[in-house]
Amino acid sequence: MPFSLLNAGLIFGAVALAIPIIIHLFHKSRFKIVKWGAMHLLEAVLRTNQRRIQIEQWILLAIRCAIPALLALAMARPLWKGASSLLGNAKTSTVVLLDNSYSMDAARAGTTSFGIARDETLRLINELRTGSEVHVIMMGEGGRGLLDAPSYDLSRVTQALTKSSAGFGSARIPAALDLGAGALEKMHESARQVVVLTDFQRVSFPATEDALIERALQRIRSLPAGPNVTFWDVGQEVKENVAVESLDFSRLMVGVGQKVQIRANLRNFGDANHADLRVTFKVDGKDKAASQVALGPHAKAQVLFTHAFDAAGSHVVEVSTEPDVLAADNTFLASIPVRDRLPVLLVDGAPGATPDDIASETGYLQIALSPFAAGKVELSDLLEPHVITADAFSAKNLADTSAVVLANVRKLTPEQLRVLEDFVKNGGGLLVFPGDRTDSAWWNGPFATLAPVPLAGISGELKDASQGTGIAAQRFENPALEIFNDPRNGSMTEAAIKVWFKMKSPASSGDPNDPVVLARLDSGDPFLVERAVGHGRVIACSSAADADWGNLPARPFYLPLVQRLCVHLASTVNPPRNLDVGRSLVSFLPTAAAGKKALLTGPDGTSIELPIVKRDELGVVETAPLYQPGLYTLQPPGGQPIHYVVNADRRESDLARLADTEIAEFAKAHSVAVVHSSAEFRENEHRQRFGEELWKWVLLGLLAFIFLELILQRKFAGARARI
Amino acid sequence: MAHVSDFLTPSDLQRISNLQVFARQVVEGFTTGMHRSPHKGFSVEFKQHRQYVPGDEIRHIDWRVFARSDRYYIREYEEETNLRATIILDRSGSMEYGGGQPGQVSKFEYATKLAACLSYLMLQQSDGVGLVTFDTEIRRYIPPRSRVSHMRTILGELEAGKPGGETELGKVFHDLVPKLHRRGLLIIISDCFGEVSNFLKALAHFRHARHEILVFQIWHPDELNFQFKGWTQFDCMERAGVKHLLDPAVLRQAYLANLEKFRGELTRGCRRHKVDLVPFTTDEPYAKALAAYLSRRLARG
Repeated sequence: MPFSLLNAGLIFGAVALAIPIIIHLFHKSRFKIVKWGAMHLLEAVLRTNQRRIQIEQWILLAIRCAIPALLALAMARPLWKGASSLLGNAKTSTVVLLDNSYSMDAARAGTTSFGIARDETLRLINELRTGSEVHVIMMGEGGRGLLDAPSYDLSRVTQALTKSSAGFGSARIPAALDLGAGALEKMHESARQVVVLTDFQRVSFPATEDALIERALQRIRSLPAGPNVTFWDVGQEVKENVAVESLDFSRLMVGVGQKVQIRANLRNFGDANHADLRVTFKVDGKDKAASQVALGPHAKAQVLFTHAFDAAGSHVVEVSTEPDVLAADNTFLASIPVRDRLPVLLVDGAPGATPDDIASETGYLQIALSPFAAGKVELSDLLEPHVITADAFSAKNLADTSAVVLANVRKLTPEQLRVLEDFVKNGGGLLVFPGDRTDSAWWNGPFATLAPVPLAGISGELKDASQGTGIAAQRFENPALEIFNDPRNGSMTEAAIKVWFKMKSPASSGDPNDPVVLARLDSGDPFLVERAVGHGRVIACSSAADADWGNLPARPFYLPLVQRLCVHLASTVNPPRNLDVGRSLVSFLPTAAAGKKALLTGPDGTSIELPIVKRDELGVVETAPLYQPGLYTLQPPGGQPIHYVVNADRRESDLARLADTEIAEFAKAHSVAVVHSSAEFRENEHRQRFGEELWKWVLLGLLAFIFLELILQRKFAGARARI
Repeated sequence: MAHVSDFLTPSDLQRISNLQVFARQVVEGFTTGMHRSPHKGFSVEFKQHRQYVPGDEIRHIDWRVFARSDRYYIREYEEETNLRATIILDRSGSMEYGGGQPGQVSKFEYATKLAACLSYLMLQQSDGVGLVTFDTEIRRYIPPRSRVSHMRTILGELEAGKPGGETELGKVFHDLVPKLHRRGLLIIISDCFGEVSNFLKALAHFRHARHEILVFQIWHPDELNFQFKGWTQFDCMERAGVKHLLDPAVLRQAYLANLEKFRGELTRGCRRHKVDLVPFTTDEPYAKALAAYLSRRLARG
């Protein structure tokens, strides 16, 4: 329809035309009566004027009704699309969707696709008539406004745009169009347009998102004045690109000197054959290793690097390939915290005569966790067990502890339980071994806040081994147990368990925090059950830690099992240090740091100071969502630097574009204009009709009616006076 | 019994009393100057003798004195005239209009007071005053008398009279002419509503009978400015059931134009018949209006 209203809701104000009629009827119904003597004078006037007065009154009433109706129409801002108005002649509301995904960083003739798109956007904004409003939305990672809101200050927009860069994750067209529609709803000018500058990368236009794109475009078109949407193709066909897609490494806590395997996944998105692609491995910016790999066209390859960190602290590993057209995906970073010791608190429910008494409940555990210390060997253990009795357990024992093991503890006092809960919720690990002293009523009662599953009673018979059970052979998914998938690392099936607590198998509700059975007994009962509590984890074993209920401590797998369980529980890096684009950086620091400031240095070298806020018993640093991929270094006051890595989705590494025919089909299917150059854009602009706002004319009409009403009123009165 | 003070406030009486000396001159002036009294010398009173001077009429020489004294003396007389005035008071329905505002007097009330005022003034001067009240026909005719006690009769009629009925000035005046046997001054107090031509014809009839005529036309301010606001239903005071609902603001200009036309015709007609037409509005103090009229009369000599 060529006619539309920008503020359609206000057209209902036209019912105000009833007001003059109502006033007329109201006055007419509330007449007064006058007993009149000079009737001959009045009747003479009435005889000659009645018909004429009636017509005049109808004319005046019609004009008076038209005045509020016209006012409502003017306020509803009617738009006549039949009239054409060139963009250059009219104030416009322009939304620019600028693709700043990292594929736009692809080099071309001394610049990048993004550089071209940015320059064209700057030119477009400069050519807008003064008084136009602009909103630039950067499409990377779901999209966000370059400024918080649409702005009439074009210089401010161009200033921000000049500083912008690409490399921000992947672009999602429907989400960006939706953002554009949302912005347009708040913009004011009638000449509206949406310009999408993109490289038409195939991954950004998957067939599955066609419906979503159409829905977003419909939303834009349904806006008053039906804004024009133009896709501006700023991309070029790039055939070659090799990317480091990801780095795989053990998620368990790494100890100093411990060898860590880092596997880099490489992919060739181009047609070229790289017979000897050089891949370098750096740790903390220093070259540590290099490797040659053959990577055929569209092939994938893995390169394995092994490294032992020689110092504790936060380290950054980096795998890079040779430079190519797209530099952003040639490097993949990972932040790995390295510990020289992991203190583990063993709470002994059945202590021996001395703390290291082998007969105590934790005797075997102690040896298994620190075998070098126990064997008087001059090698360092990563785990550092410390034994206390259940009575002695308190908050001060947890000061430097990464994990707590409860072994055959009858029960904890409510205060001890509260301390333990806080510890786990803040990222600590808890391993629980029951025993003959365990009070199942306490376990199923107060301890239920931490216990992965309730205890259902004791099974087996100490004196009758035939009633015992073993650990079922199975494939382990948990990182703590996955080494047992390799038989060379020992087999858990060797164990013979005479007595065990029956645990109820947890029901799965789909919640990721539901308890998970890590290992089962031959009897079918759970052997190890893990549950996430807050930021920490709790693992419960169904049998005892010592040799009272079976031969677990005597089997070779016992040592790696308890070690890996403890390291796994102590490995929760909370908050995470390897982030996806769009996530906030969060760091937990000691309470003492609260109120001070931490310095965050970004990938571009700029530093900002962040306040450390006290939250519970921690000092917390939190940033806004981070969109720029790369390495961020947080320097807490008086502490070691902590590295955070933001990696972008590697979908964008596939630089394949839609074919020209596909682009044409896209334009046709979605009824949008696609241009490839500024000349084409301007030509297209001339063809488009932005429509003419009619409110000024309606307002003029309104004024004319007001004057007409006055003039006619006088004229009619005058005319009657002459009769 | 009605008394003059029922119609005239003490201040009105005072005002009229102050007019006495002035009025006497005026009345004498215009009755001798304007009227040829039908009873000239009817009440002639000797004043003095004065010596004859050449130019004096010989018929005025007092021959008796000449016989006695052999000198020519002229007899001088003080001439008195008795004015016979008849007040013709319109008590048709339209005269009842008094506006809706409190404190406003109706045209009839005003006319009644004016009539009382005139009667009082004239009787004070020993002039004869009569009263005719009418609407569609003559309701009462009180012949002119000059006795002061006659005032009571007039006031009684003024008090008893209530307005109502249509105005038929032409017919009534024609009917009235035979009743007025002696020529005199006719004072018509009316709003003069109705056909102007009939009214003028009736005036011509009076004039033919050689009556001197004064018309005191009574207006209510509403009738002159027609400043009604909002929708109004005008109910006719003279014809029951006749009503018009209209927006007065819309008609005001046309009404005023029509009013102007009506007044113009009336004024021109009266002038043609040598009838004095004096308009009054009910918001004017009637005594002041009367004074204004008399002073104008004096100015005309």
